[in-house]
Amino acid sequence: MGITEKIKRNIDMTSWKDKIPVNYIYTVGIAGEKFFREIKDNGKIVGTKCEKCEVTFVPPKIYCERCFSRLENYIDVGTKGTVHTFTICYENVDGTKKEEPTIIAMVKIDGTDGGLVHWLGEIDSKDVEIGMSVEAIFKAKEEREGSILDIKYFKPT
Amino acid sequence: MGMRRVAIVGAGLTKFVRRAQETGKELAYEAAKMALDSCELTLEDVGCVSLGTAPDAFDGVHMKGEYLSDGAGGWRKPVMRPYVGGGTGVFNAIHGWFHVASGLFDICLVVAEEKMSSCYPHPAGAFLTIFDHTTEQPLKPNLIWIFALEMRRYMETYGISHRDIALVSVKNKKNAMDHPCAQIPQEITVDDVLNSEVLADPVHRLDISPTSDGAAALVLVAEHIAKKITDKPVWIDGVGWNVDTAYWATRDLCYPRYVEKAARMAYEMAGIKEPHKEIQVAEPYDPFDYKELHHMEGLLLCGKGEAPRLTAEGVTARDGNLPTCPSGGLLGVGNPIAASGVMKICEIFWQLRGEAGKRQVPGKPKVGLAQAWGDLMQVGTVIVMKV
Repeated sequence: MGITEKIKRNIDMTSWKDKIPVNYIYTVGIAGEKFFREIKDNGKIVGTKCEKCEVTFVPPKIYCERCFSRLENYIDVGTKGTVHTFTICYENVDGTKKEEPTIIAMVKIDGTDGGLVHWLGEIDSKDVEIGMSVEAIFKAKEEREGSILDIKYFKPT
Repeated sequence: MGMRRVAIVGAGLTKFVRRAQETGKELAYEAAKMALDSCELTLEDVGCVSLGTAPDAFDGVHMKGEYLSDGAGGWRKPVMRPYVGGGTGVFNAIHGWFHVASGLFDICLVVAEEKMSSCYPHPAGAFLTIFDHTTEQPLKPNLIWIFALEMRRYMETYGISHRDIALVSVKNKKNAMDHPCAQIPQEITVDDVLNSEVLADPVHRLDISPTSDGAAALVLVAEHIAKKITDKPVWIDGVGWNVDTAYWATRDLCYPRYVEKAARMAYEMAGIKEPHKEIQVAEPYDPFDYKELHHMEGLLLCGKGEAPRLTAEGVTARDGNLPTCPSGGLLGVGNPIAASGVMKICEIFWQLRGEAGKRQVPGKPKVGLAQAWGDLMQVGTVIVMKV
């Protein structure tokens, strides 16, 4: 026995089976509270701007990571963006095949230095292109709960 | 030794709370910003960042160092994350000291953060997997019961009563009444401690520090910078750390030898020959009341088994000859793991500069010490500071 022996299954050796049963509730934070409240209540996307560095953060931050200024000015940045890059995903997290592939895109929010990673919808995967204009589609107001999933997906404009 | 002298010139601390709305990054920012503002430096002046934070499992972000880095001022800077469990806070400052003492950087921002409240129903769940997965985890150990084992060994070996130990909790929670960042400042009695809920005999609820969210930060600079920007530099003149075996059941739990070894390393570097006479104010690590006593002995601030007597005689009170945890310690101020070690260094920094306000110990102390402890009851980290 030992490292030179080829072992096909852990379970063939004496072992203790266990799991790590830990759960989390993550607060969205000070900036996150503004960001998600605007999405939920008004269907708007907000960011914060550092006037000194001329950088607009989306999602907003309470600080500029470049100069450490405190940022308190939340601005409506609109709901339109540009596909910066994308992928088409065929497998679920557990490795099983998805019934329908999903399109994941990194969307740069226009006029800002930030962006959101989200799904693309109302488009066939073979029609997706880098640089295409998209906009956020929100769930109906009564279904929104203050999460990133309040945005259903981005769709081509 | 070929090392440069390093000074602490700024400190920052958030309030410690059970549940912060702020994210870990936001907490780190508040402390880091306060530390920089306190010495009128900006992020641009910072050469590197040392970021201390305890198990990833608390925040539930399994690359926590990198995740927190921008809040800690690490944007496009050399950032390193040291980690030795509960000893991380003091170790983080030692790690920052290396960066400056070595000559590699003139200014290092040291930031420590912990947001334990994300993990539910209780962050103790994140400790389940620190134990050996085959010999210990099947027994469903938890932190409190291993400390109960250690506390009982300590009591048994030296004939110490729970009443003797509870005095530490009474003292520290009371000291915390004067700390604006404190989570559970309280005036309690020894009977309150003894009558509080038994968690794992002999450990009762009021023997233990709370779980907390919070952050703390320091600015460390080289001597030539310190002399330029402040009249009151606090020098880090000794550092020490040591790790014992994780086979904790093979150790005699009544005495923390690894703390002694870490302390001796720091004392030798700082030229301290008789620590019980030369150290004038100390922040030994006190996540449990008995640990302050245990650590005073490991730090050679008194003989083995003598710490309870010093406590009972008032020697360790804020106006005693050897004040310990004048901040209120983890028992009173709170215990966001890595941040609490840095909180202790902040306290000694303010005490030696005479800036501790209502918490100020008398006699203008010149030499102080901060210590933390962690992993499987196996690591000691020590810093000796002077003005």
